[in-house]
Amino acid sequence: MPTLARHERLAGAALAALAFIIVALGFFAVIGEPPLATLLSMAEYAVGDRYSLSETLVKMTPILFCALAAIVPARLGLISVGAEGQFHVGALIGTGMMLWTQPFDGWLLLPLVLLGGAAGGALYGWLPGILRARLSVNETITTLLLNYVGVLMVSAAVYGPWKDPGNLGWPATIAFPDAAVLPQLFGTRVHAGLLLGLLLALCLHVLFRFSRWGQSLDILKGNVRVGRMMGLDYRRHVIIVMALGGALAGLAGIGETSVIQGRLQPGISVGYGLTGFLVAWLAGHNALLAIPVSFLIGGLIAAGDTLQLFNKIPASSATVLQGLMFATALAVPGLIALWRSRRG
Amino acid sequence: MPGRLIQLRGITRRFGSLVANDDVSIEIESGSCLALLGENGAGKSTLMKVLYGAIQPDSGDILIDGRQQQFRGPADAMAVGIGMVFQQFSLVPALTVRENLLLASPRAPWLQVPGAPGLDTVLEVLSRLAPDLDPRSRVADLAVGERQLIELAKVLNLDARTIILDEPTSVLTPAETQRLYGLINEMVADGKAVVMITHKLADVAACADRTAIMRRGKLIHAGPTRDMSRQQMVDSMIGAGSPASASPPPPPDRNVARVVVRELGARTETQQVQGISLEVAPGELLGIAGVVGNGQTVLAEALAGLHPLTAGDVTVDGISVAWRPTPPVPDGRVAHIPEQPMLNAVVPTLDLAANLQMRDIRRRSFWQFGRRGQADLTVRLQAADVRPPEPSRLTGTLSGGNLQKLVLGRELAGEPSLIVACYPTMGLDVAATRTVYRQLFAHLARGASIIWFSEELDDLLEYAHRIAVLRDGRIAGIRNRDQADRAGIGDLMLMHDMARSA
Repeated sequence: MPTLARHERLAGAALAALAFIIVALGFFAVIGEPPLATLLSMAEYAVGDRYSLSETLVKMTPILFCALAAIVPARLGLISVGAEGQFHVGALIGTGMMLWTQPFDGWLLLPLVLLGGAAGGALYGWLPGILRARLSVNETITTLLLNYVGVLMVSAAVYGPWKDPGNLGWPATIAFPDAAVLPQLFGTRVHAGLLLGLLLALCLHVLFRFSRWGQSLDILKGNVRVGRMMGLDYRRHVIIVMALGGALAGLAGIGETSVIQGRLQPGISVGYGLTGFLVAWLAGHNALLAIPVSFLIGGLIAAGDTLQLFNKIPASSATVLQGLMFATALAVPGLIALWRSRRG
Repeated sequence: MPGRLIQLRGITRRFGSLVANDDVSIEIESGSCLALLGENGAGKSTLMKVLYGAIQPDSGDILIDGRQQQFRGPADAMAVGIGMVFQQFSLVPALTVRENLLLASPRAPWLQVPGAPGLDTVLEVLSRLAPDLDPRSRVADLAVGERQLIELAKVLNLDARTIILDEPTSVLTPAETQRLYGLINEMVADGKAVVMITHKLADVAACADRTAIMRRGKLIHAGPTRDMSRQQMVDSMIGAGSPASASPPPPPDRNVARVVVRELGARTETQQVQGISLEVAPGELLGIAGVVGNGQTVLAEALAGLHPLTAGDVTVDGISVAWRPTPPVPDGRVAHIPEQPMLNAVVPTLDLAANLQMRDIRRRSFWQFGRRGQADLTVRLQAADVRPPEPSRLTGTLSGGNLQKLVLGRELAGEPSLIVACYPTMGLDVAATRTVYRQLFAHLARGASIIWFSEELDDLLEYAHRIAVLRDGRIAGIRNRDQADRAGIGDLMLMHDMARSA
């Protein structure tokens, strides 16, 4: 039985990919570009050379973290869309750590900044978690609304007290000192955050599959009453997964801010939170599968930027393609199921 | 209304390796009630879903008055007047009775503002079935029996001449059951054909003039009900090699208490119990009788340590197992068999292996890299008589009887000292019921104490050593089996009402 289902899933994924390619070709034809050539150059801009590949990995890093941030609560059946807000609050608290400790400029700076990012995100996940656990407030609504608050808190900080006077009015903090920044790899913009994300995805996968905790989450997700009968505390698990998911998104926020942007400023995220949420669904809430899926989406976004630069095609077409990819990936399995049930 | 004849010929339907219907042929006549009798998983529901168009047969024909029919879906079956009332109702609880009927009726007016013409035509059938039912009441506030009547009205509103009822009495109180029997007999007298899927012989005796018996997908016997004795029916249903009917071990002579419940109080939003004091000896089966809704659910959960106490304590072998003030960590001393296992006792989305082993979830080591072998699990599933004994099978696909056997296999594995069993045989067929009783009695013989909640007074009188009656959240009285009879227990259950009317 399981082998058959796995077999079918693989076939479904292949069909979805094929459908996406056809739809993408159609899209390029509609906007008046040579379809096949554009698609091939996109693939080239995503993984064609050293620089393209490195930019894909740069985009992939925050997406992977944000996907994991949605996957952890989903293992308990919770739908958290709060990665965007947690990303920003993580960036905020992490930057605060940097501002507070940067006079010392010691080796402790980097761990403190990362810890601040994780703690900020965790706090921002814990809040809707405790509302859900204690008062049964729908976590999807609270996380969605708190996203706006998180983004605006960053704006408030950088337009106000944290604005660097040396910026001549540009709303941003001072630059992160080298000691507060994750090391970069191979002389590219790829940073150690990617390795951390891969490691965390692997760890989470092992925890979900092979630990008492993962099995407890499975039970509670499937039937809260039975979980209670086995002595499991649903509320405690809600708070744990919400805070843990928040911490992961917070790490993405501080990594992106410190390494890629170099300072806290508005627009540190180009929708990474929501993209991560969609990646989590595409990966079927499987932490390991989130790795290739976020690589794929990262490549799409990076290629879109390059496409704008060289082919004069608007970068927003990458967003359109991203939307088409999610739509086909979610629709094709449904269509296959429908087709099979029609056949009886 | 002219009579008509529906013939199912050579119906075969497979689900994977399981043959749910194996070359089954039956006939359904107008003005007659056919009881389709069989155990859980015998293929009765599948056969009727084929007739209703919800399932397509792999082979076989459906003929109406000799003409072959092709049902691609329930809409086709309904178009020729075949309707089905399912075990799980499809009503919208938040809407009123009238709104639910309007939703399902093709004759409902498109514009449904108050006073629109035709709004009340959908109520005509219901007002005959249940004159006292207010069409403005919300379905959520109705009893199960009333909801079933609405489902029946929905089917009759579609001009159904052949009505299929799937286990209609399994959810009804005795009074509601009697009323349903009356309705079925009326419909038959009216010239309609009724097919009743059931595993209760009482249903057959009350309504059916013809009976068809299925076992493991095959039709074993079909014919007039009066030509078969009760024993023949049971034998046909269960087949050869059926387990002998079980009897409980004699009541324990030593009168030491193993389980002590002292002045227990607990409450939920809708139920409360207070001042409950009970003592149960090792090897004793204490039955709890009472009309549903007198505090059974909260008492059972309080005894099993799943609900916080407001007063009192529950001890097993002198150690408290109650939620007071913190929930106890399950350690295998208390087994709990909740009512409605699919809702309350298993995780349908996990496999049999996970459900069988989850009792130790709090106590197992953090890392679970090497779980026990599949062979070992298969043996345990076989010992529990779960069919099929496949550890990787999804639990949600099991039938009711196998589900309950899985729950028993898990709950009774650790040699518990106290077993709290809530309606453990409700909805089960004869063979599964016997398996449940046999297992419970084996644990009695070992020295376990059992507190058994039941609605079936006859079962309580037959098997329980003592019977306590729960009324209005208190123990109204406790009787030894040799002093108890139906009337005496019934008086205790209803004394409140009698005192009022006196």
